[in-house]
Amino acid sequence: MVQLPTWTALSPTLLLGLTAIVLLLVDSIDPDSSNNELLAGVAGLGSIAAAATSVWFIVAGTGLPAENGELISLFDDQLVVDQMALFFSFLVASVLTLVVVASYDYMADKARQAKYYSLTVMAATGMSLLGSANGLAVAFVALELASLPSYALVAILKTNKGSVEAALKYFLVGALSSGVFLYGISLVYGATGSLQFDAVAAALTDGVPAGILGIGVLMIVGGVAFKTASVPFHFWAPEAYEGAPAPISAFLSSASKAAGFVLAFRVFATALMGDAVLAVVDWVLVFQVLAIVTMFVGNFAAATQENVKRMLAYSSVGHAGYVLIGLAALTGGSSDAYVLGSGMMHLLVYGFMNTGAFLFIALVEYWDIGRTFEDYNGLATQAPLACAAMTVFLFSLAGLPIGGGFFSKFNLLMATVRSGTWFLGAALIVNSALSLYYYTRVVKAMWIEEPASGLEIERYPIGLYTAVLVAALVTVLLLPGFDAVSQTAETAASLL
Amino acid sequence: MIPTQYYLLLSAAVFCIGIFGVLTRRNALIFLMSVELILNAANINLVAFSFQYGNLSGQVFALFAMGLAAAEVAVGLGIVLVLYRNFSDIDVTEATTMRW
Repeated sequence: MVQLPTWTALSPTLLLGLTAIVLLLVDSIDPDSSNNELLAGVAGLGSIAAAATSVWFIVAGTGLPAENGELISLFDDQLVVDQMALFFSFLVASVLTLVVVASYDYMADKARQAKYYSLTVMAATGMSLLGSANGLAVAFVALELASLPSYALVAILKTNKGSVEAALKYFLVGALSSGVFLYGISLVYGATGSLQFDAVAAALTDGVPAGILGIGVLMIVGGVAFKTASVPFHFWAPEAYEGAPAPISAFLSSASKAAGFVLAFRVFATALMGDAVLAVVDWVLVFQVLAIVTMFVGNFAAATQENVKRMLAYSSVGHAGYVLIGLAALTGGSSDAYVLGSGMMHLLVYGFMNTGAFLFIALVEYWDIGRTFEDYNGLATQAPLACAAMTVFLFSLAGLPIGGGFFSKFNLLMATVRSGTWFLGAALIVNSALSLYYYTRVVKAMWIEEPASGLEIERYPIGLYTAVLVAALVTVLLLPGFDAVSQTAETAASLL
Repeated sequence: MIPTQYYLLLSAAVFCIGIFGVLTRRNALIFLMSVELILNAANINLVAFSFQYGNLSGQVFALFAMGLAAAEVAVGLGIVLVLYRNFSDIDVTEATTMRW
């Protein structure tokens, strides 16, 4: 077998970066290009190639330790390519693929298409790179590479007041939290004298300056909370997701959230795990509080919404709370790999079902039939296939055994049982039951309510339909195929 | 040599001024300046600690942070510009078409 050079291990990220540059090139040659086939085609091919490469590498065991027990690391140990990096590259690239395919129709008559696609792929590059970051410096750079294009993407409909307002709020909170995050990094650097995750962990012995380290760790928690849309930095999420073009909402709520979590997994499980840190600031306890508050805030706020997109936005906050269990249930014992792994599994399944749900909203926006629950009345009489897909997404999000969401929530529950944090499990169950209420409202509106007079759909856009149906298919297939996901996730988590 | 604690006090003061500006000012441009103060407070820390530990990673990272701060302001000013075009004002509390 041919031995590839070491740097090719980074291929998924490199492919995304290359695609972004090609799209930027198209944009500079023809700024007003509305050649939708070319742009979506290039972006789509690039993201599919990145996703396929990630799967190939995961199967081939690229991210597993070599015979001498070492993982592939690049650029003087700044980047590491392990199974977790590949897992998240796959997640980001597949969400990107769905979003690009859907954008083919959604953006068809809109301006600045080349910029739209290149910014989307650029943000995905940053998210994928974040999965490989092995130091606080690279993590910050990758985080900004993911954030800055996202701000611009939310504002891409420049004359739409909602889009601009959403971008403003997203940017204000984002700029503040990245400042706080950087200050936290500088304090952790001050306490340890290093930015490298392993070196930080090694320097954290009993003699560290407690005050500096404690404040630094709390500020890093703040930066992570913004990126994952968790309490207390969740305020931007409903606004940004509601105002942004729906495919971008899908992208941000799935891929961007996953990127925030992989950052959290690496920083906290690699660099800041240990009794010396936990004695100074018990971040596990902080995450336990944040997880429970985030679950309740997200789900209760979602239950009171009249706008379906905003309901999904709040449900996305609630799901951030579920995934936080992956950090909040860490005990330093033998259950840790399983706990982290269950968080990763939920992120992957969530990547498909939530992207699908937001892309269904994109489809409804494309039809221009309104945004509230009433506007969805009787939609199934006109578009039964898309509504069936949406039903799968919603029930899977709620945790019913119709899609992968059932197993991923079950694993999160088992994680709380194994680590003895029963109150997290209780909060998970209560909130899942509550979430069934507002998800069912959409299903009821679509299938049971009488359609408003004059509800008629004339166009069935092929790109949006493909994206929604593929996402639904994958969500369902994750039910029988969940073993593969859970094994990969657990192996990846055990390597940290 | 000035002790590192003094730098830490300076950066904490700059950070607090930045946070105060973010929380109290409604003008989007002043908000951007305040965020800039927060980022530069972190840079002071990075450079001071880098000097204290005698390794260069902090200083190099401070250079990266400056570059990123510039990029962030570029995107931010773009958003402020479209804000002005849509709402005829750069007051960050004016844009309230969405409500929970």
